[in-house]
Amino acid sequence: MNQNKDQRDDLENDEVSAKDNETSAAAGGEALDLEGLDLTVETVEERISPSETNVFDK
Amino acid sequence: MIQLPSNDFPVTLAFPPQGHWTQPHLALPCLKAWLHASGYSDVDQMDLSVEAFDHFLTAESLTRAAEKVERRLPLERFQGDRLPLGQMRAWRAAAESAASAQSLIDRVESAKAILRGQDHPVDSERGFWDPDRYVPAVRTLYHGLRLISSAHYPSELTPHNFTMAYSNDSSEEVLAATLDEEQNPFIEFYREQVMPRLLARKPKLLGLSVLYGSQLIPALTLARMVKAALPDCHITMGGGFLAYIGDKVMAAPGMAECFDSIVFHEGERPLLMLCEALRTGEPLHDVGSLAWWDRSNPEEPVVVKNMSAHPIKLDDAPAPDLEGLPLDKYFSPQVVIPYDVNRGCYYGECTFCTLPTVIGPGYRTRSSETIARHVVELRDRYSSTHFNFITDCMPPGMIKDLPEQLIEAEAGITWWADARIEPKAYDADGARRLYESGCRKLLFGFESATKRILKMMMKGQSLKSVVEVARNCTEANISVTFYAMVGFPTETREEARATLEFIEQHADIIREVSLQTFHIDEVAKTYKEPEQFGIRVLDAPGDLALYHDYEADVGMTQEEAAEMFEEMMASFRRNLAIFSGDNIFYFMQKSHYFLHLAAGETPQGFSERCAERTAARAERQAEPELTVSRGLVSIPLGFSHSDAVRTLGDPLARAARPDFLTGRYVRDADRVAEEKLPPLDPKERFLLYDPENGEFVELRDGGSRVLSALRECGTLGALVEAQRDAGASDAAIQKLEQFAAELHRLGVLRAAATPTSAPKALATARG
Repeated sequence: MNQNKDQRDDLENDEVSAKDNETSAAAGGEALDLEGLDLTVETVEERISPSETNVFDK
Repeated sequence: MIQLPSNDFPVTLAFPPQGHWTQPHLALPCLKAWLHASGYSDVDQMDLSVEAFDHFLTAESLTRAAEKVERRLPLERFQGDRLPLGQMRAWRAAAESAASAQSLIDRVESAKAILRGQDHPVDSERGFWDPDRYVPAVRTLYHGLRLISSAHYPSELTPHNFTMAYSNDSSEEVLAATLDEEQNPFIEFYREQVMPRLLARKPKLLGLSVLYGSQLIPALTLARMVKAALPDCHITMGGGFLAYIGDKVMAAPGMAECFDSIVFHEGERPLLMLCEALRTGEPLHDVGSLAWWDRSNPEEPVVVKNMSAHPIKLDDAPAPDLEGLPLDKYFSPQVVIPYDVNRGCYYGECTFCTLPTVIGPGYRTRSSETIARHVVELRDRYSSTHFNFITDCMPPGMIKDLPEQLIEAEAGITWWADARIEPKAYDADGARRLYESGCRKLLFGFESATKRILKMMMKGQSLKSVVEVARNCTEANISVTFYAMVGFPTETREEARATLEFIEQHADIIREVSLQTFHIDEVAKTYKEPEQFGIRVLDAPGDLALYHDYEADVGMTQEEAAEMFEEMMASFRRNLAIFSGDNIFYFMQKSHYFLHLAAGETPQGFSERCAERTAARAERQAEPELTVSRGLVSIPLGFSHSDAVRTLGDPLARAARPDFLTGRYVRDADRVAEEKLPPLDPKERFLLYDPENGEFVELRDGGSRVLSALRECGTLGALVEAQRDAGASDAAIQKLEQFAAELHRLGVLRAAATPTSAPKALATARG
């Protein structure tokens, strides 16, 4: 599992490092191009399958 | 009474995975009690289903699973210019595992403790009663099973089902599945956790209880392993599912290598006869209701099917014996004891119902006096006052008598049960007496709001009486659940929508709906007399096939019925409080909502608090003190996770893999689904997993950048201030705040000083 954790950390680090300049800039007071950024948030309500609604048999 | 045998005839009864995980199943405790009362004192029982859930949901098992997923399904493998349906499930498993595995490993033990009420010594302080701790705990366990499933891809183990790529319809596939170490998670579980105990015990007889299709492969997997290690142990199987397909299983090549016999229908008397025959070395010809292999010629075992055994007189049967079951491992804070008040159905007319087939012919009941006496015994023996009365339905006389007996015996219990609409029995006074006796929830077979359909079903109930009974129960504070069916032969979309409308119009008296799609099995009246129902039953390929597709000239096709199921469920999610948002976990975990009712909550109070909880979440705003949820994980993806989940949830995609419960597995469905469900195009996305909530959220690159900036700044207020200082316009700040409000609603951003949902309202009833 350590491998997995490392991978996850790496991914996070990659993400952070790719955005380092912009993030630091934001924290330092420089504007993000908020109006130009796509801030869509997506979630999907997992569909309930028939096997999960059968309280009689299950 | 038989001659008491000595203790040198050890019997082991086992319930193989997968069954539900919140409370014990009834079959083995009934068999153990019967054998014990008949002189067999050395009877062990194992709930391998709940043991498997417990074993898989450990930090150690999840760690192993995560390592396996990395080996079998590395995310890097899915780089390309498109993600076809055939790879989507694997990609989703890889993505979710990468985002959530470590959090699940860290939190799985505390999640189990919350569901079991083992997280705090004081009952009222336990997380089970607090939705903000309960729901994330349930989600953690669900995701934990997804991780275990991913490690055995494409198999899927959930609290509700177990499916593999192998179909139950074919003995060849079933037997191949029992040997597939990569995909069958139970081989390793049995080898490490179960076989050492069986080898030490060396039972003379192993009985496997197979109630559901989801248990067939796991049962045969174990049987095969035991047969190889303990060739002298007689392995028999029985249970509801085998009552349907037992003859086919016996006729299938290769099965004789796995086990020795099948008991059909009720097991008590045949199992005792089998013990006697094996113990005394008598041939098996006189063991009632048994199909077995005569191995006189070991090279060519011959199937022998014996005469049926007489059903037992139920009132003489002892109370179920739960001794030996791992009562602390069920995923409920209190044991809900199953108890059979009767067997069979006194009504027995419904044309869709084949349940009498399972238990055998006839209707038998225990007397109300016996029930009350047993309930008190069980209450004291297992220190639990919660009961699930197992019954197809109680006859009117018992509805009147049982409450009186329970009250007179001062049983002091709470209970729930299935029921049939009987307006005279469930009048206002009757409902009040039921509540006084501890009844907190009744589940009625409603099925449809269309008279024509009800007539075809021979339900023998009117909509007027349905409303009357539900209202009387509601006014007595008994929660009402309706079973409903979609897709009965000739039913139209309009008729299904009428059922939906009827239920939602009566949402004040119908708290839950157990919605099912109609399907035809080989013992159903619809199978035997299809012309009566205006359908043509199609052949089902496969030597173990139980369910059949059909065609009708009028009404919905099976595909349309599956779509209508989706439409109805989506509507219930919007309009029934207990189905709204993540409150639905209370419905999906058998007995959990009941335990709230048993603790003093009213159906109306619980519904209101569910609605408040959903509303409170929807109303969350962009507050300045919002911070990024602790432990939030973000990983970059090359495709959209939400697009994949949506596609995989399509009924077409679902039909492309075997579903042991509904039988809606169509052999060429994968080809049809591939044609109709387009592949995903590459998209730059970020998948967030919030371990505090146990939810996945997807952002675009822009959202991920803002989230990183917010993390840097500490709070939303600080980020807003920094952006204003840097010259951001009002419109830009408004957009940022809308984004933050949405993430607040989803739990990705949290206000540390404010509760994450409505006050601990659901906990208040505990006092």
